[in-house]
Amino acid sequence: MINIKNLHAEIDGKEILKELDLTIGNGEVHAIMGPNGAGKSTLSYVLAGRDGYEVTEGSAELDGENLLDMEPEDRAALGFFLAFQYPVEIPGVQMTTFLKTALNAVRKARGEEELDAIGLLKLMKTKCKELGINEEMMKRAVNVGFSGGEKKRAEVLQMAMLEPKFAVLDETDSGLDIDALKIVADGVNALRAKDRSFLVITHYQRLLEYIKPDVVHVLADGKIVKSGGPELALELEEKGYGEFTASEAA
Amino acid sequence: MNYILSLLPEDNVSDWGQALRVHGRDVFEQTGLPTPKLERFKYTNIPARLKKMDLEFADSDVSIDGDTGFVRKLMEHMEEAPDWLKQMAQQIPAGAQQYQDMMLWDAANAYFRDGLTLDIPANYEGDKPLNITITGHADTHFVPRTFFVAGANSNFTVIEYHMGSGEYWNNRVTQIHVKEGARFRHYRMQENSDRSVYTQNTHIIVEEGGTYEAFVMTVGAGLSRNQVHVELKGAEAACYLNGINLLKGDQVGDTTITVEHRAESCISKQNYRSVLEEQSTGVFQGKVHVHKIAQKTDGYQLSNSLLLSERATMNTKPELEIYADDVKCSHGATSGKLDAEALFYLRSRGIDEDDARALLIEAFLSEVVDEISCDEMGEQVRHVVSRWLEALKPQEDIDL
Repeated sequence: MINIKNLHAEIDGKEILKELDLTIGNGEVHAIMGPNGAGKSTLSYVLAGRDGYEVTEGSAELDGENLLDMEPEDRAALGFFLAFQYPVEIPGVQMTTFLKTALNAVRKARGEEELDAIGLLKLMKTKCKELGINEEMMKRAVNVGFSGGEKKRAEVLQMAMLEPKFAVLDETDSGLDIDALKIVADGVNALRAKDRSFLVITHYQRLLEYIKPDVVHVLADGKIVKSGGPELALELEEKGYGEFTASEAA
Repeated sequence: MNYILSLLPEDNVSDWGQALRVHGRDVFEQTGLPTPKLERFKYTNIPARLKKMDLEFADSDVSIDGDTGFVRKLMEHMEEAPDWLKQMAQQIPAGAQQYQDMMLWDAANAYFRDGLTLDIPANYEGDKPLNITITGHADTHFVPRTFFVAGANSNFTVIEYHMGSGEYWNNRVTQIHVKEGARFRHYRMQENSDRSVYTQNTHIIVEEGGTYEAFVMTVGAGLSRNQVHVELKGAEAACYLNGINLLKGDQVGDTTITVEHRAESCISKQNYRSVLEEQSTGVFQGKVHVHKIAQKTDGYQLSNSLLLSERATMNTKPELEIYADDVKCSHGATSGKLDAEALFYLRSRGIDEDDARALLIEAFLSEVVDEISCDEMGEQVRHVVSRWLEALKPQEDIDL
């Protein structure tokens, strides 16, 4: 259960999120759509705890615990996961090392047993296979030299291994061709579960053809201005965001 | 301490050894210790550190193991020294006048006595390294002289370990002659006491088709000066000078390199990484001098530094001096902080901040560490790196 209440956040003193409220039930998939500059990526970074984003009011609770009071690593341990719009390249850190360190840190924090190298390789192999990821990628440095599609698949792989309770996908469709998009969407769909919630942030309706949301929200000028069923996405595709941005100008 | 060196009492150093001492003393009395007024010592104030110390001359504490068959103590040669040794000892490295950086060498000559020679026969294939351990003892000043000769087409590896406790000054001169077609690998793990001063003067000559491969790991010494002068004298000679510096507290780590390409088709590569914490200071001065005759030179130099603290300083001065017209030379230097984006990305995956920082620092160092071709040394370097990083982490509270 995710409960975001009266969330206000600013960057460099400029308010980006203004009274944002959002509730996502267990196992639900919600989508947030909105024009550029509405605050979509700000919302994902605020939830992940990135530096430079100041929360001035409100809370974001995951199963009753306020994420906003925690360090980024503690949010991950609690079960929050952000699939980055632009996954960061880290030369010199091998994917395998990265996954092992991350997984064991999270397992340790959750009071689960840490995996040894063999256990990790086995798990990695299984997950790679499920997601159609070439295992050779695991020998490379984190995201270095990955194509756009490979980067997004690697994000889904991390999600599959860390088994979050709440995953935010920040414009996961950006920069993907239709084949890559399908693979990523299939990966996400395979992870849908009754105790796992998703928030899919996107500018275009296209992604939602492959990841079917239960609820669609429109984010404009830092708050949710409209919510509805999947049909809302189609409506937006047709009419654009004009009515929401116009209201701001008026 | 008293900088005016007095000659040692008469011992059986031999006439040529005694002449070397007198000359060294005379020159050093005129030059004195190198001060930051000299271009080559601009960032490294050796006299300031030494004057706070009260030291007495002592012979060095050196132990060896591994492939020790060709090692002899310097004094064992004094009665009937081989010509090569006399020539090497009396040699004044080319360029000495130009750079004004030989005063510590002259000071070491004044104490000529203590040290060892390694004379590897031609075609010898060493299958294990020679390990040399030099231990510094409190309140001493020691001057271990080292001569390494790698016979033609030989293949040999030396690993040096430097350690100690308390205040001391190791002023060491090492001369290396890599003959035709030989491969000489030379590694150093420098973990001297953090109150010590370690000045290392290394001069290397590489003949035709020979290769000198070095890796210096600097973690110790309050002040260290790693001064290296390579002469690539024969065609297709090569030298690889790599290293990492991990510095914290008041440590100063200075690496000053001169590589002279004096023949055609030679290769020189320098690749250094420095990590500076607290108020430490790093210095990298690297010079590649390509003489007119040295066509088809391949010269490369890179120094990258990571500053973990606002108070840390890195001074970098790369130089190329090229007189030949058909060469490939490049150099680069960077100084920066840990990548905040990468740090956040790792933390967002559950890795705590200290571990994420350590992971990124290890990654930064890995490019040069992975190049170490001797597995034994590579292992030890990785171990020392992770121990150093572990010590940076805040200590957990201990319940009493």
